[in-house]
Amino acid sequence: MSAKPKIKDLLDESACEHNKTKKATCNTPTPGATTGGCAIDGAQIALFPFADAAHLVHGPMTCLGGSWETRLTGTSWTGRDLTQMGFTTDININDVVFSGEERLAEAIAYIVSNYSPQAVFVYSTCVTALIGDDLDLVCKQASAQHGIPCVPVHAPGFVGGKNLGSRLAGEAVLRHLVGTLEPEETTPFDINLIGDHNVTGDMWQYKPLLDELGIRVLSTLSGDGRISQIRTAHRARLNVIVCAKALVSLTRKMHEQYGIPWISCSFYGKRDTSNGIMAIAEALGDAALIERTRQLIAREEARLEERLVPYRQVFAGKKAVLNTGGNKAWSIASALQDLGIEVVATSVRKSTEDDKVKAREYLGEKGVLMTTPATQQAKIIDETGADLLLAGGRSLYTAIKKRIAFTDVNQEKKKSYGAYNGLLTLAEDLKNSLQNPVFALVGRKAPWEK
Amino acid sequence: MGEVIRKSVKPLQVNPHKLSQPMGATLAFLGVDCCMPLMHGGQGCASFTKVYFTRHFSEPIALQTTAVTDVTAILDGGDYSIVESIKNIHSKVSPKLIGLHTTGLPETKGDDIRGVARQIDCPLVYVNTPDYEGGLESGWALTAKALIDQLVEPRSEINAGKVVLVPHVSMQPIEVEKLKDLIASFGFTVVAVPDLSTSLDGHLGEKQASLSSGGVQVAELKQLADAAYVVTVGHSVKGVAAILQKKNPAIRHQHFNHVSGLVGTDALVGWLLEVSGRDLPGAVVERWRKRLQDAMLDSHFALGQTRFLVVGEPDHLVALSASLSEAGGTVALAVATVDSPVLNEIVAEKIIVGDLEDAEKMSDTYELIIGNCHTEALAHRYGKKTVMRGFPNWEQVGNPLKNDILYEGGAYFLFEIANIASQMHEEQQQRIAAQMKQSA
Repeated sequence: MSAKPKIKDLLDESACEHNKTKKATCNTPTPGATTGGCAIDGAQIALFPFADAAHLVHGPMTCLGGSWETRLTGTSWTGRDLTQMGFTTDININDVVFSGEERLAEAIAYIVSNYSPQAVFVYSTCVTALIGDDLDLVCKQASAQHGIPCVPVHAPGFVGGKNLGSRLAGEAVLRHLVGTLEPEETTPFDINLIGDHNVTGDMWQYKPLLDELGIRVLSTLSGDGRISQIRTAHRARLNVIVCAKALVSLTRKMHEQYGIPWISCSFYGKRDTSNGIMAIAEALGDAALIERTRQLIAREEARLEERLVPYRQVFAGKKAVLNTGGNKAWSIASALQDLGIEVVATSVRKSTEDDKVKAREYLGEKGVLMTTPATQQAKIIDETGADLLLAGGRSLYTAIKKRIAFTDVNQEKKKSYGAYNGLLTLAEDLKNSLQNPVFALVGRKAPWEK
Repeated sequence: MGEVIRKSVKPLQVNPHKLSQPMGATLAFLGVDCCMPLMHGGQGCASFTKVYFTRHFSEPIALQTTAVTDVTAILDGGDYSIVESIKNIHSKVSPKLIGLHTTGLPETKGDDIRGVARQIDCPLVYVNTPDYEGGLESGWALTAKALIDQLVEPRSEINAGKVVLVPHVSMQPIEVEKLKDLIASFGFTVVAVPDLSTSLDGHLGEKQASLSSGGVQVAELKQLADAAYVVTVGHSVKGVAAILQKKNPAIRHQHFNHVSGLVGTDALVGWLLEVSGRDLPGAVVERWRKRLQDAMLDSHFALGQTRFLVVGEPDHLVALSASLSEAGGTVALAVATVDSPVLNEIVAEKIIVGDLEDAEKMSDTYELIIGNCHTEALAHRYGKKTVMRGFPNWEQVGNPLKNDILYEGGAYFLFEIANIASQMHEEQQQRIAAQMKQSA
């Protein structure tokens, strides 16, 4: 039997709540009307924060040339940070004709002897999947030869979008890493953090709180991750999916294989952070832990409220339109609401069914869930008198035209808005944005214009 | 010229600065007004490319994908994916041109894009750019050729005052503009192909464009064949001229490997004087030449003490190394993305076709790095300084307005480098002093 995951099975995720009515979550792309990344993009996002592993893209130059060093994923790994490096076989016409397997095997050997990673992830791409290079075999032989896990990641771009790619990455980790090592010790409060990639250090905003409560993060997939830890992930008491639902297949299968229950939470904004930490404590089911958690939340919320006082005045009566992707449709909305900003609309164009339900929950009956934000957002700004647009860079012109403040929530983000401290950072950035005269000035008429 | 090492012994690229042919093709199509580049391949290629250029230029980038899936990869020869894409693009916008270019995937399965293009009833230029061959420069050059080959109408008469300019891919928009202005100052009408100077120069447009805005117009492209001269800048685009000359053999071709530094700019100005029949360039040109000479003197001390690493596309390396070496800078190592005959022209002690790992291994041979933003990590690791040039530069804003060419850009370039070099030498002194204090 092939070791490759079945794409069809992954598209039909039984743990998704909406699945009772709808089968496929991942849309087939429309030629000439598609934006967004592909499966290998999603797979890399999911696995890349393992800084102690090498990430080798087996394919031509576009796949890696345009994607390495694009993400700020902090790591506390003290060895050389391999997330800051790009490895690709950069195959040529010869490899396309005569197979790239030999080159791949040599590339793995080169990486192992020069960079001593804890594991090598090998990503297939459209071209090497099409020419039929046997990643499973090459990786199996390399693992035996080098004594470290060499993990084939079967997520060539043409199988689907980023979401599916993340699932395929989860499959690879489950098949080749989880359960291959025993932890030195276990505690009753061992959890795995799944789906937080520690972008801009998001995870570091709330992990100290878990540490303080005595909740041990046994492993992560993959924010600030370690290969040796994810190999022991089968011994955790609880899987915690952070924000993204892409890795739900992995947690469902870990439940089936190892009996580990899972919960899903978000750490954006005050409410979600408090709810998330409490949900973890409750799922671990220890009365003393729950009490400790209650106290910690009370302390943190009080501290936060005090520091938010000066911002409340600035944000009073302010309305925002939010146009971003996936889970951010509701997670950032929730954070904005915590700051006292009314969210009048959010985009659900790229959201999963779960995300849409959550977005409706947060925005209430009156809130608009935009399905075509590009055409809707300008109109909604006019109708509601919104003061702030939070979106990707492409929407900048809408803000200039409407002369309202703009905050880039996709490309430009270099600071963490996660958890309690992150909410303060978000408040400060939004305040600066609202008070910045640039949006009115660049929309100003020239002296020669009437 | 130094030793040139063309062949890597490694089975992989580690920290590559090389970029793919399809990306070069996308960029070239963005230099055509109201164009929609359409990348034929999996959706990720276009997505990566779009984000990449969006971040480099800080501008919205028009680009679509045929979004080939695993099923269409096996069953479709491109007919469905491409035809459907064009239908969907036209349902939303009205491009004056579709720029169809391939990636590795359709080339591997052998799609006949020429055949598909024949079925399509709208302005379209197609070009084969497999990303397992060539690189950014060749993707750009192949597209320039395709634009001319497929759009330009043959002519026999010549308009003595018309020049077609073909810049290489590493010239930023402002550089193309400055070059056009210089040629125009000799009384010529200049059409650049492709022309990023008006499309990606960082100007604030009227609205958020879903197509490229600015660039050479399709109508202008059709009428190129009455030009008196075709001027190519950069070895990678040298061959574009022959395609235009096929449309009208009376067109004369003038080639420059670069137009940087005093000697390089003199060559261009000398030629312009000759073909325009003028005795003198404009007063501004004369003034800038004197300023460049002064800049060379002012900066030679700092530059003369500095050993450089330059990384980039071959045509860019030739230009950079010429400027640096004219003011006494030593390019210890030049790392090119791909092979090119022009590597022999680079003024450097050592020239290799390689990646940033190769540069890292030779980190004791240079002090100051000129290259894309991927070199920043390398610089941090070894306590060196960087000056950001080339693709990509995601760390800084203002890339479209970085001008290093001709007399004017050359002067600013030398000043910028010399100031950073001086700062670096001073910091080196301070480090030594601190060490001495510690051991005392």
